[in-house]
Amino acid sequence: MPAIVRIVDLVKNYYLGSQTVHVLKGLNLAFDEGDFVALMGPSGSGKSTLLNVLGCLDRLTSGQYYLGDVNVSEMSDDQLSEVRSTYLGFIFQSYNLLPQYTVVENVELPLLYQGVKLDAATKARCVALAEMVGLGDRLDHRPLQLSGGQQQRVAIARSLVNDPHLILGDEPTGNLDSKTSIEIMEMLRELNRAGKTIIMVTHENDIAAWARRVVRLRDGRVESDVRNDTRTTAELGR
Amino acid sequence: MSVDLGISPRLFLLLFAAGFAALVAAGALVANRTGHLPLAGNWAKFRRSVSLAVKSLWLHKLRSFLSVLGIIIGTGSVIALMSFGEGSMQDALDDIKRQGATNIIVRSVKPPDDSSTASVGWVTAYGLTRDDLEQFTTFGDAVERWVPMRVFPTQVRYLDRQVPNARVIATVPDYQLVNKLELARGRFLVDTDDDEYENYCVLGSEIAEKLFPYEDPVGMTVGMRTHFFVVVGVAKERMPTGGTGGSQAAEDYNKDVYVPIRTSRRRFGDVISVRTSGSRINEKVDFSQVTLTVRAEVDTPEGRARVQAVGNEIKAMLDKRHPKKDYAVTVPLDKLEEAERAQTRFTVLMGIVACISLFVGGIGIMNIMLATVTERTREIGIRRALGAKRKDITMQFVVEAVVQTTVGGLVGAAIGIFAVYAVPALWDVVRVWSWIGSEVRLPAKLHVGSIFVSLGVSILVGVAFGLYPAWRAAKLDPIEALRHV
Repeated sequence: MPAIVRIVDLVKNYYLGSQTVHVLKGLNLAFDEGDFVALMGPSGSGKSTLLNVLGCLDRLTSGQYYLGDVNVSEMSDDQLSEVRSTYLGFIFQSYNLLPQYTVVENVELPLLYQGVKLDAATKARCVALAEMVGLGDRLDHRPLQLSGGQQQRVAIARSLVNDPHLILGDEPTGNLDSKTSIEIMEMLRELNRAGKTIIMVTHENDIAAWARRVVRLRDGRVESDVRNDTRTTAELGR
Repeated sequence: MSVDLGISPRLFLLLFAAGFAALVAAGALVANRTGHLPLAGNWAKFRRSVSLAVKSLWLHKLRSFLSVLGIIIGTGSVIALMSFGEGSMQDALDDIKRQGATNIIVRSVKPPDDSSTASVGWVTAYGLTRDDLEQFTTFGDAVERWVPMRVFPTQVRYLDRQVPNARVIATVPDYQLVNKLELARGRFLVDTDDDEYENYCVLGSEIAEKLFPYEDPVGMTVGMRTHFFVVVGVAKERMPTGGTGGSQAAEDYNKDVYVPIRTSRRRFGDVISVRTSGSRINEKVDFSQVTLTVRAEVDTPEGRARVQAVGNEIKAMLDKRHPKKDYAVTVPLDKLEEAERAQTRFTVLMGIVACISLFVGGIGIMNIMLATVTERTREIGIRRALGAKRKDITMQFVVEAVVQTTVGGLVGAAIGIFAVYAVPALWDVVRVWSWIGSEVRLPAKLHVGSIFVSLGVSILVGVAFGLYPAWRAAKLDPIEALRHV
């Protein structure tokens, strides 16, 4: 499988006044297309920073970041926005839906910044995605009228609307109870099986167990990198 | 303060509006070319961002309303004030035009120092003479016509009815043209009346009403002093001139009696005795007034210059011939131009007031927008994460501000236009039911230019004051913004 994400000697420093905080200390990682990766590690290990860098939300201090064949680390702010808009999908811990918009409008939001023409066809696509995540009867509800699990499903539908190469999850089940967490993880696994590459941050082992590959970070370095395929295969066979 | 833009105020406003529109259009084109403003080619996106702005604003109805209140009041008051200003100015201009803007009015004035006047016995002689009138003919073609008048008060009688304070105006047939006199019945004086020394007269409407409440006045005979005149016509009722300051007094034309000037001279003589309270004044005045009409178009600068030139020549000529200054020259055009200058001045001042009030309104918008940006930091973060570029965020907030000021401007314009029609009507009601201000009229004429200008300025204010908060929103770091609670 070709690597969809490749980072070389990734260094990320934060400058707090005169102090320099070294968050990521030269990471080298490659993620294959179609993989399902869990990033783990204690707080301060740099897993969220890594996810932000992968999500083109944060700039790296040095090193290279290739998304497909493209070197993202040298792009301008506008180009990064374009990359996010075209190649990436986000799922956040706190859902991050816009409260004033309905379910369909929230799903549609990324298309607004793609320069595609918003017409009946795109609307139908958004409705189909909402139906796919099981919210067909709540298309015109606002996020505050939905439960946490439902909101996260809207967020998943939203992350799929631009048909991204890579879905990034920042503790997607962090605010959910265990039953809803399983529902969400099943949905992510379905997506992965359908070919989507997923990278998610989590600090719960039983959530990480859904992934095919678990990367543990500690103090800005890779601590361990374990393939989890046996277990996934076992589950697949269940 | 003297502002002379050399163009009429309305033209000025129209030019301003056109220039503004052109500027906006050019800006939009450039922004569209550079991709900063998604317009043509992505009309749907633009429409979408407007509808998003409306939605966001609708979420906080009271707040949005309060923040545009300044714009509403600003726009409304600009339109209302400009319209009332235009109305009263139009009133004054109409007044002047009624006097004839191409006319030059030369009047005899009793010199202030009585002892130095040429008195022959008890007779006071002053004013314009027949010699002066001869001189006026030297202007030839430049002057279309000149209308001499001899005016004196008298009593007009018919049977036992009488009007004690009527005014005889001895004049020539051209008077009708110069003063735009319209007749209700019969005819005005004609040349043959003058040539034949006919005892014919034309009555003003009020005199006709008083002397002949039931009869047809035409053909009747009225008595004035020791002579009798046959009525040949009755003038239509005429609006009195408002006495527009200077040497032009208010005139009530409805108590005039018009007689041929040569008849008057033969019957009443050059010396007219006027009885005032307790005494009697004998005056020898050839002409009380001569009205010259200059052959010129009042709406062209050349025409105006010619009127001024003739006026100056007349002044120079009379200055030489009348060392006693027993005359006065009035050029209504002077007042017309003065009024127009006043209007321009008024327009400029109003424009400044408009700018100030809309500026204040803009500060209100910016204040709320800044608070909104802080409040919606997280939303900005979400949008950035989902692929919004900085300029998309800028656009969103600018569009929101412009939607606010545009809606505010439209509402203000509606209120202003409503006020222009409602306030005068309301004022008329108040005028009828109360004692105060019963004489004061409140004329209003909708000032169309001010609608476009104030709307345009509202939109401009939206862009100008929305830009800074929008820029603040756009430069937020997406990660920080996402972390914002």
